[in-house]
Amino acid sequence: MSIIFVSLILLPNLSIIVQFFSESNDNWTHIKEHMLSTYITNSIILILFVGVFTALIGTSLAWLISAYDFPLRGFFKWGLILPLAIPPYIGAYTYHGMLNYTGVIQTTLRNQFEITVNQQYFNIMNMPGAIFIFVMFLFPYVFTITKAFLARQSTSLIENARILGSSSWRIYFKVVLPITRASIVAGVSLVILEVLNDYGVVKYYGIQTFTTAIFQTWFGLGDLNSAIKLSGTLMVIILGLLILERVLRGRKRFSFTTTKVKLLKPVPLKGRNKWLAFSYCMGIFSLAFILPLLQLIYWALLTYEKFLSNELFSVIGNTVFVAFFAATIITVMAIVISNFSRLHRGLTAKLFPKITILGYSIPGAVIAVGIVTLFISIDELIYSWGWTSSYILSTSVVMLIFAYIVRYLAVAYNSVESGFERIGTNFTEASRMLGNSVTQSFFKIDLKLIRGAIFGGFILAFIDILKELPLTLILRPFNFETLATNAFNYATNEMIHEAAIPSILIIIISAVAIYFFHYVLERE
Amino acid sequence: MFVHIRDLHYKYPNAEELTIDQFNLTINKGGITTILGESGSGKSTLLRLIAGLEMPTKGNIMVGDDCMCSHSKFVQPENRGIGMVFQDYALFPHMTVKENIQFGLLKWSRKEKKTRLQEVLELVNLEGYDKRYPYELSGGQQQRVALARALAPKPKLLLFDEPFSNLDADLQIKIREELRKILKTTGVTSIFVTHDQEDAQALADNIVILRDGKITDTGTPDEIFGTDCDISERLAVKPRVLSKL
Ligand SMILES: Nc1ncnc2c1ncn2[C@@H]1O[C@H](COP(=O)(O)OP(=O)(O)OP(=O)(O)O)[C@@H](O)[C@H]1O
Ligand SMILES: [Mg+2]
Repeated sequence: MSIIFVSLILLPNLSIIVQFFSESNDNWTHIKEHMLSTYITNSIILILFVGVFTALIGTSLAWLISAYDFPLRGFFKWGLILPLAIPPYIGAYTYHGMLNYTGVIQTTLRNQFEITVNQQYFNIMNMPGAIFIFVMFLFPYVFTITKAFLARQSTSLIENARILGSSSWRIYFKVVLPITRASIVAGVSLVILEVLNDYGVVKYYGIQTFTTAIFQTWFGLGDLNSAIKLSGTLMVIILGLLILERVLRGRKRFSFTTTKVKLLKPVPLKGRNKWLAFSYCMGIFSLAFILPLLQLIYWALLTYEKFLSNELFSVIGNTVFVAFFAATIITVMAIVISNFSRLHRGLTAKLFPKITILGYSIPGAVIAVGIVTLFISIDELIYSWGWTSSYILSTSVVMLIFAYIVRYLAVAYNSVESGFERIGTNFTEASRMLGNSVTQSFFKIDLKLIRGAIFGGFILAFIDILKELPLTLILRPFNFETLATNAFNYATNEMIHEAAIPSILIIIISAVAIYFFHYVLERE
Repeated sequence: MFVHIRDLHYKYPNAEELTIDQFNLTINKGGITTILGESGSGKSTLLRLIAGLEMPTKGNIMVGDDCMCSHSKFVQPENRGIGMVFQDYALFPHMTVKENIQFGLLKWSRKEKKTRLQEVLELVNLEGYDKRYPYELSGGQQQRVALARALAPKPKLLLFDEPFSNLDADLQIKIREELRKILKTTGVTSIFVTHDQEDAQALADNIVILRDGKITDTGTPDEIFGTDCDISERLAVKPRVLSKL
């Protein structure tokens, strides 16, 4: 069964590779000669700056919160994950709306202080602006991974360094940064994959990247062939990055032992330092969560009357339904596959996890290209057998759900796998020695012991699907709207105020889910 | 002969040399056999083979009148009727002592389960502890629950993998004697793995010395260690044993 699951994930990617080598047309030659270098340069600049800044902000916050005690620390522990609830594209148009000529900041300056500012300083719709947006709404990836690592792996090292008399800065640079390298790299890779996957921010800010190019050639020029070639090129770049990640992470992989978990005891900060630490956390939290949320709430108050209609409820219904349904399938598949690779030795068992990760690394637009080609050929096949009178699969929500599964299986898989890793195989063996078959043991013992990890995986997949934009834009059936597409369409049509309500709904649902996730983790 | 192991071979898929090499063993009904060997000699692997958690590359295992494993047959661990006490006990953390002990009593009626629970709790001296969770017990108590859980389904054969390695020395000596008494009362045949000579000597009817997966010596404790009482003296005058370990 797990073999079937895994091949399902491989298929769309394979279909891109196959078509990548088909004959090229004029568009592709044009793109290759004039545009490709722009896409590559823009993508690299984005990745580079966003990577460096998320690493700096993410690790420094994680270190402050793990090692020191200062006002509101308990809240920041999970509050600083909250910016993940705001999809970057929503952040992008919110900030634009705040900063532009008619936005709240310039209006206030003009009306209250009679200052008219140079528009140049307040234009966020450019490369630095996009970098700012990505950093603010993606740094929590680095923050959470590094914090989890610091919390359970490094206690004795850091305590030793303290006993040996190192100062805080010295510990940070000589001990914390080196030992957390693996988790920083892991976090930053997630950030980079998100940046490459993004369509909303770069489209809105008018930056040419691979994803915007795929959309343009495919829908603007109607040229699927060139879109496939762009996707193939992007896949090569991503494979390169994944290999780089392996190298950067290094040979040392710190594994943690369940028995020796000791929590780092935070040192209370005093005087000026206390308030410095607090202001740093509060500053980031305001920029990345409070300010955009307040702005959205204000807009929502202006427009809510328009929305109290059945349409909004059907959009909410759609979104929650597909997210819930897909996340459930994903979680079940994650359990089946990780249980398989846990109990079996050999090559297939080792390869499975790698393949599920592949789906997560490939940007949504690329997966969409693969899935559409795949589904259309299946539909043609069914049609030619005379079973149906029209294309059914490629026009239904099945295709969208399938795409979510391909892309987000890894999210749930990672969580479930780490749960299995923690319990090992001892309990299963003990249960079998007491007369229970593998299946019985699985339901009576393993499933119960990793409940938290399963629930965590489900929530993460659910949030990701809720926010997903590029896949949904391309693959949704006609007239099928989710909160994400709804918000994005309003924003791109210069109806920023109207975009506020669906955006806030996404943020609230995600924030609640994130809180639950944090709660489950803390309890374990 | 109650347990009969013939010509057992095993190699881990990613290992180069045989982990278990031509292992032969017979045990009488009710006997306690200790397998003594240093770390990495293959003791745990051997137990896992007997339990059915690993499949041997070659060899036969008979327990009672049943063939557990030969070139044409492999009985799954859950159907072998063999009990095992794990090195780290592997008590299910989400179940109480009662639920842990009754976990293996699959086809028993409610009443039988209840009686059996009382019987084994009495046997290991833990009456009244049935509602506790594993983390609410001391190391020695956990160890006894693990024993009770393994004994409850009345296994034909009981395996122990270094059951004392997590206990401090005083407790170890006390529990060791208790264990021998319990095993002899119930009359269960058992195999006991350790790297500790004193354990082996105090518990065993028979000792097998294992080195690099091969048997290098077998016999009663007296045959192996001699009859002297003082163990340190014996170790000094018996270089034969030391060189083997
Ligand atoms: N899963 C495995 N894959 C490959 N080799 C293994 C595996 N498990 C154990 N080995 C090897 O098999 C040999 C025997 O291991 P085993 O665990 O049986 O030793 P042991 O006698 O129980 O040691 P200890 O007293 O330390 O528990 C060792 O050399 C070990 O490295
Ligand atoms: Mg062992």
